[in-house]
Amino acid sequence: MFEQILGFLQAMIDQTGITHVWWGNIVMIAIGVTMILLAIVKKYEPLLLIGIGFSCVISNVPGSDLILPGGLFNYAYHGIELLIIPPLIFFGVGAMTDFGPMIAHPKLVILGAMAHLGIFIALIGAKALGFSINESGAIGIIGGADGPMAVFVCVKLAPHLLPQVAVAAYSYMALMPLIQPPVMKLLTSKKERLIRMKQMRPVSRLEKIAFPIVIGIVVNLFFPPVAPLITMLMLGNLFKECLVTDRLYKTAANDLMNVIIIILTVGIGSTMNAEKFLTFKTIEIVILGLIAFLGGTASGVIGAKIMNLFLKEKINPLLGSAGIASVPIAARVAHIVAAREDRENLLIYHAMGPNLAGVFGTAISGGIMLALLGVK
Amino acid sequence: MIVPDTIYGAILLSVIDFFLSIVVITGIGIVLAAFPLLNKVGKLDDEKIRNSSH
Repeated sequence: MFEQILGFLQAMIDQTGITHVWWGNIVMIAIGVTMILLAIVKKYEPLLLIGIGFSCVISNVPGSDLILPGGLFNYAYHGIELLIIPPLIFFGVGAMTDFGPMIAHPKLVILGAMAHLGIFIALIGAKALGFSINESGAIGIIGGADGPMAVFVCVKLAPHLLPQVAVAAYSYMALMPLIQPPVMKLLTSKKERLIRMKQMRPVSRLEKIAFPIVIGIVVNLFFPPVAPLITMLMLGNLFKECLVTDRLYKTAANDLMNVIIIILTVGIGSTMNAEKFLTFKTIEIVILGLIAFLGGTASGVIGAKIMNLFLKEKINPLLGSAGIASVPIAARVAHIVAAREDRENLLIYHAMGPNLAGVFGTAISGGIMLALLGVK
Repeated sequence: MIVPDTIYGAILLSVIDFFLSIVVITGIGIVLAAFPLLNKVGKLDDEKIRNSSH
């Protein structure tokens, strides 16, 4: 009788996840909890980190059905893997974004390419570590600091690395307020950080409506591999700027965007299972991703300083760091670093120009990379 | 595969990609610099557009 009860209890325990817990799960749960704490206590991109952190915790609890085939988190991940979610994110971002700063100050657009040297530093580094050229490209694109684009290019080049690349890209994007300022300060003098920018010209409605149409045509004509993302970005923006589709633009920018963020974050977090994630490759990718972010920030700032050699009216070199994309986080970081020196130096609007150009810079780099590697 | 799967290929890919990106984005910058010309074509009034929508 006693043995029978023990047998039943043992069978019950076997059905739970308790007996399958290993140290890897504990490590990943701790990482997930840290993400949640950073979001709540430090306010580091809570919209991203809460979902990723919670989903990471749950996916490391053995026995959780949510990450298994048929589970909701698993379906969320399929939405990312099948490239449904990244274009929709861009659609929402387009509806939320005013491209006026980019149109008003076209000189700063070049910073959107300058700040992407990090992509190539990571790419060469990954190849030197023994990754294939396609895997290296997927790792390098983390340096574009553009989550949906990183996911998109990674799925095309090395889908098996998607969990590591997506997690590195989104985690570093959320941690940009920590990563970027030391590099920005190291490469600029106080005098340079104090430079104030001249007020921009106003951008007319006609220009704002023409912008998404022109860019939509250019991108589909010259960069078909990455056109789905930029096209959706432009469609969202056209809904916003044409003024006659308020309902659609508000839905895209608010309700739809919120739903997509939930799906995206739980989908990414659900890939952080210890068995797949705690590998030496992941550590290499995470380190290369960090190098890519640091390199991109540095090359953007240096690019702005090089521009100053030729410009009559000097620009604040902190703007260069915003060229790394990650809208609007990088622009906000540039503004905060400048405001620490001079509270009245409002750099945010100016930083949005290179920041938005950075989105195009990443897309162009990704498109060229896919073309050179012969991937459609 | 067009680019060789070697460290040389990675460097080649990086150099071509980086410089082409700068060229293309400069091209976008030039197109944007011409945008003020659109204002010579005509002007759209925000209020009129809003009022004409259903």
